[in-house]
Amino acid sequence: MSEKYKFDTMSLHSGHVPDKETGSRAVPIYQTTSYVFKDTDEAAALYNMEVGGHLYTRISNPTIATLEQRLASLDGGVSCVACSSGMAAMHLVVTAICSSGDHIVASNKMYGANINLLQHTMTRFGIETAFVNPNNLEEIEKAIKPNTKLVFGEVIGNPGLDVMNVPEVAKICKEKNVPLAIDATFNTPYLMKPISYGANIVIHSLTKWIGGHGIAIGGAIINGGNFDWGNKEKFPTISGPHFAMNGISFWEEFGPSALTAKIRAEGMYNFGPSLSPNNAFYILQGIETLSLRMKKHIENTKMMLEFLKDNEAVSWLRHPDLEDHPDHKIAKKILPLGSGSIIVFGIKGGRDAGKAFIENVKLSSHLANVGDAKTLIIHPGSTTHSHLSSEAMKMSGLTDDMIRLSVGLEDIEDIKIDFEKGFKAASKISNKRS
Amino acid sequence: MYKDFNGNKVYFSTGGLNLVNDKETLCFVHGAGQNHYSFTQQIRYFVSQGYNVVAPDFPGHGFSEGNQTTSIEEDMLWLAELLAFLKIEKATFIGHSQGCLTILELAEKKPELIMGLVFVAGAMSIPVNDFLIDTSINNPEKAYDLMVTWGQDSYGSFSISDWPGHNHLAEGNAVMKMNEPSVLSTDLKSCNLYENGKQAASTININCLAVLAKFDMMTPLKKGLQMVENIKQCDYKILECGHFLPIEKPKELNSLIKNYLNSLK
Repeated sequence: MSEKYKFDTMSLHSGHVPDKETGSRAVPIYQTTSYVFKDTDEAAALYNMEVGGHLYTRISNPTIATLEQRLASLDGGVSCVACSSGMAAMHLVVTAICSSGDHIVASNKMYGANINLLQHTMTRFGIETAFVNPNNLEEIEKAIKPNTKLVFGEVIGNPGLDVMNVPEVAKICKEKNVPLAIDATFNTPYLMKPISYGANIVIHSLTKWIGGHGIAIGGAIINGGNFDWGNKEKFPTISGPHFAMNGISFWEEFGPSALTAKIRAEGMYNFGPSLSPNNAFYILQGIETLSLRMKKHIENTKMMLEFLKDNEAVSWLRHPDLEDHPDHKIAKKILPLGSGSIIVFGIKGGRDAGKAFIENVKLSSHLANVGDAKTLIIHPGSTTHSHLSSEAMKMSGLTDDMIRLSVGLEDIEDIKIDFEKGFKAASKISNKRS
Repeated sequence: MYKDFNGNKVYFSTGGLNLVNDKETLCFVHGAGQNHYSFTQQIRYFVSQGYNVVAPDFPGHGFSEGNQTTSIEEDMLWLAELLAFLKIEKATFIGHSQGCLTILELAEKKPELIMGLVFVAGAMSIPVNDFLIDTSINNPEKAYDLMVTWGQDSYGSFSISDWPGHNHLAEGNAVMKMNEPSVLSTDLKSCNLYENGKQAASTININCLAVLAKFDMMTPLKKGLQMVENIKQCDYKILECGHFLPIEKPKELNSLIKNYLNSLK
């Protein structure tokens, strides 16, 4: 009999039991490209995906499979494919489902690279995207066309921190028979599991909180197994004949896991965005403490919000847990444990003050990542978006005084002191101006 | 493959290939609340081994439409009629759980159809407790959950799988949700009512194979062994797994079936 273990237990155990031959308690790193076949029968069976097993690490690997099975169990999915990055995960999902002439409806408040992929890259391959306000349900419903094959959004938008009303969007998608794919990087399954709210596909950048230590890039696709791909005309890549394996239909042969079978058989096979076994191991170490870290991230975020709320150097403050956030109600409903550990705020004195702030903090790391154990900050106006005018930044939903803070696990009093130093430098600029 | 059969759209997996007249046929018969996905790791494997494979979704299960059969006797008749419709005169039947009751009944009533018999996690009778039947009527999804957790050995708790990236507890639930909600309770009642297993087993006079699960909580091992004792010639193997043996030990099962099929030649 199986037990249904709880989150913390699954974080430590799912996908692995001690190695039978060596007794290794930790997940072994299978640093190998390939696997010796027992006989030609076995080789053929693996190539044809007739039985489970490993044939080449581009397709699958035992260490990576442990990570995949752990992620599937934590998110409540039927199966998972891990890959080289969160962007690779998104690309794999889009290309598994969509072909030239197809259409996607996506949030207009997403991570810039997600938008770039859909707006600039996929359009070159004949896949068009309608960008919509993620919380305008009417707009989403209207944007779905007969050739719409995917609706895509983020639970917590990056960097604007909009919270998508996943349960309501999922209802619309179900009604329209379109799969809903959700990027859940900012919440992790500890804070919210999109599949339990009706989403069909979950995408993670494992690089962020799931890995949690800023040491390995990775991505994952978790398949909810709760979408009916049976319409061959609408979803020919999943339910129509595959170009190999005797022209099988993934839907008819693999059912709830049809999407992941397709991704492994085509996406991993033909594009090859595989994760390294070492990185899978690093990410697994991160997952072991995911709940502990997320609790501390949330606790520190609350204290940081209190600190920033009353700070004279701060012109505005945004986080879904604040009552004045436009999506506060939905955040309270679907993210009851907290809405993640990213805070965005404005610094008085605009772009130059922002620059001064960034250059005068020491403990907080100035870099282009989020979700590390360490506190991270970035000032888009002087880095990622420095080439844009104030007006152009506004068009992207950003302002030139905006700082993005990824709250880490340090003693938060030390971060506050660090920030005071930055604010002091920024206020000199701000005072000069006034 | 879909066919219109007896006025309903019926699905049976053939592993993606058309049936060929001069090949031997294997017919996989699923258990209660299941469908052809119970045999995902057997169907295409045996197609590649050179067999015709027919793994039907019984009415109301998986992709098959139509009124659900309400007894093992009806299951047997439906299956026999489907094979006649497909012009299959003889086959080796591989039943899992309730599917074992169906093929036991078939062996007694339609022996001319039988080339071989493989009983996977089976028994001559499968009494079902009232709690599970009531739950399957009042709260099917809760019943799926109970069956999936009872049905898999402790490895299921840890999402251990030969199939990279698969989480069998959730996948088992998803497979059962593909059926009509009334399917499980009707199947469980069919199992509970069936009393002819011992008589049917005693009529079998060909060599059979039983593959039983050491940690089976749905059809306990001792009941499987009783079935073996009642069949004149039945080899058996016990695998260290739970009731959902075809997904827990797919390679071992495939190898045992393959050896058995070779022994019939």
